[in-house]
Amino acid sequence: MKTKKGFMLRKVADKNIVVPIGQASVDFNGIINLNDTGAFLWEQLAKGCSYDELVSRLLGEYDVSEEVAKKDIDAFLETARNAGVIED
Amino acid sequence: MKYKIADIIVDLDVQYPRLKKQIAPYEYDEAANVNVEIRLTEALYQAYLETYPDIEREMIEYIALGNEYYTALIHFNGMLIHSSCVVYDGRAYLFSAPCGTGKSTHTQLWLKRFPDAYILNDDKPAIRICSDGIFAYGTPFSGKTDLNVNERVPIGGICMVERSETNSIERISDEEALFGILDQTVRPQEEEIMDKLLRVIDKIVRNVPVYRLKCNMELEAAEVAYNGMKGVN
Repeated sequence: MKTKKGFMLRKVADKNIVVPIGQASVDFNGIINLNDTGAFLWEQLAKGCSYDELVSRLLGEYDVSEEVAKKDIDAFLETARNAGVIED
Repeated sequence: MKYKIADIIVDLDVQYPRLKKQIAPYEYDEAANVNVEIRLTEALYQAYLETYPDIEREMIEYIALGNEYYTALIHFNGMLIHSSCVVYDGRAYLFSAPCGTGKSTHTQLWLKRFPDAYILNDDKPAIRICSDGIFAYGTPFSGKTDLNVNERVPIGGICMVERSETNSIERISDEEALFGILDQTVRPQEEEIMDKLLRVIDKIVRNVPVYRLKCNMELEAAEVAYNGMKGVN
């Protein structure tokens, strides 16, 4: 899985936002607001990784159970897929 | 011909009366290096014609040169905030909202309520982060009412305007301010310029108070807005 080309994650006023540029801004005119976990997941997906890698990296970064990590990732992926900003 | 718009020296070749009349107060004839040169090339004209097929060339000149100017502004620590900007008591107050909400209607109430108040730019003020503060500037690109003054004024506050039966004003969170401002500017297509714009917005959100103003069309709306913002910045 990977984030689609043309989306940039930045920290502005201490908030994590993802904004589209170039062609991506034609297809997606919004702005995505991420919490710190979401921003971490986004960074991993920007480099490209599998579901299992996403789980292990989140467990390495945050002190959470695998169950909670998977729940967070599933919710994140569902939202991101619905918004059309990641591809498999 | 050289013009000084928001303290940026711009070389423009203006052909049509609409913009010529608007831009005359911004003419600049001192010897100084030009910061930006903007030309309405045939390619640029054709690109705008595709977006606005039914608009005459005079209007396209106004829209295109304005857009090019506001994109260049980002390179000078500045940005456009789509708003009606009124000056009163030495401070600029910006009222921002989607078209049709009543930004200009609200600032017209200020002119009635406060006889010394005046419009700095009725639609597209330029904002710049300067070493001595954050300022709003009049520009020749001021929307259908053509109201603008060639001045720079420190910003007292920015309001996101919503219509309501009654008048009230409250500070909003940095997050709401960030999204409000991002919604009311032209977002660039290139990563490098977007990065610069986001740094400008970061400074604005950290240093300028941003409010939500719920207002009707009574004179009291201007009073509630001013009392909520005066003396804060």
